[in-house]
Amino acid sequence: MKREEAFDALSGLDDTFIAEAIRYAPAESARPPERIAHVKKRIITLALAAVLILALSVTAYAAISAMSHRIPDPEETFRITWNDGPGGYIEWTDAKLVVTFPDTAESKEIEFRSGWLPEEMASLQTDDWRGRLTAEKLCRNGGGGNKAVPAYDDMVNPLQINVYSASQFNNGGAMLLLYYTPEEIIEEHWDELNVDVMRFHTTQLREAIPEIDLPERTLVQDQLILFNPEAGWIIRICGEIGMDQLIKVAQNLEIRETGRVLTYDDFESHYLFIDGGVG
Amino acid sequence: MDDSAIIDLFFERSEQAIDELDKKHGAAVRKTAGNILQDRQDAEECANDAYLAVWNSIPPQRPNPLAAFVCRIVRNLAISRLRRETAQKRGGGLDLVLDEMEEFLPSAQDVEAELEARELTERVNRFLSTLSYDDRFFFVRRYFFADAVKDIAAAAGQKESRVSLRLFRLREKLKKTLEKEGLLV
Repeated sequence: MKREEAFDALSGLDDTFIAEAIRYAPAESARPPERIAHVKKRIITLALAAVLILALSVTAYAAISAMSHRIPDPEETFRITWNDGPGGYIEWTDAKLVVTFPDTAESKEIEFRSGWLPEEMASLQTDDWRGRLTAEKLCRNGGGGNKAVPAYDDMVNPLQINVYSASQFNNGGAMLLLYYTPEEIIEEHWDELNVDVMRFHTTQLREAIPEIDLPERTLVQDQLILFNPEAGWIIRICGEIGMDQLIKVAQNLEIRETGRVLTYDDFESHYLFIDGGVG
Repeated sequence: MDDSAIIDLFFERSEQAIDELDKKHGAAVRKTAGNILQDRQDAEECANDAYLAVWNSIPPQRPNPLAAFVCRIVRNLAISRLRRETAQKRGGGLDLVLDEMEEFLPSAQDVEAELEARELTERVNRFLSTLSYDDRFFFVRRYFFADAVKDIAAAAGQKESRVSLRLFRLREKLKKTLEKEGLLV
């Protein structure tokens, strides 16, 4: 066997060994597979035992948020590093908004399900607990097919809900809005969920592309960021269905903890793009 | 975003799947490609090829763990690319890894019949399952991901010399194991 063939042969190493070697984490991964499976079962049991169903009222009042935001200078550079090598980073400039959070040692992982969605999204209304929900497949351009909703014909992102952890953003990390321009930023506190809320309307001007007969257009979205400083979780809700409907979606979310705790080291990148993949 | 959500995005045929995959596992993917190809641009192209391969594989596949799946793909692509484009460029970082592997892997001269790659993989998997977490980490990072010893040492917070010594002992141990099983003479 030639040595290159031997190297090829090691492509067949067990998935478990490859996955555990992606990052050095002896405390978590040193256990044999049987032990890992057992711990997973315990986490699921804990999650089931600790269901938190939180109803929101519509009341909100202005408050000083634990979140911070600022409009960066267009030349301000955000360097996202993935290794120490000369090419191991990406630099971003011209971010439109930077959202930061207080250092959080541990974030409780959560999942949610929707207590209310617009009637056009009835097909997404399930009892499943999720970490993310998107309605883009209801759009004609999102591969909706016979599930496409006529009311969303001109949209690319009617609704999206994502869950994040504040512990990801320690040591200068942040959520970055890259493409959309934020308008007035409203900050509130919602008692029932114990969340600081930041919400704003955003626009993005897209230039015409004559080659494909696409006229100039303005894309709009609304953004809601919910941050629970005690538990360290963040929920971002955004979309094109209008702020009133997004708020109603947010206020009817059912949220529960999974029993898992996430720390800074659980995350490879300490930046996130609020409009990542959209621009 | 957790891996299952990323896989859901692939099933939904959302191009955001690639973005999320890159955010979550891009560092590992690029590093794996870079270790083998020793060229940043080649590694970047290889990573993109790997994402396309993942896009074409999911669905129907629902790999778990996703990180191992994509790293295995990028490793295979990088090896193919290296063979195709840089056969004359010997002496790089990967060459050192291959030199070390010659110490414990059977060659055509060592065995009566050439060992099937699959059988060798099974033996190595079995060997790895007997190791401590640290030793397994060192071995897989070096001989699967082709990491430099200094990078492995840095990741584990250990001295480079200690990691080198551990790798030397692991090679010896594997060689003895394979000899004991009659695979090396």
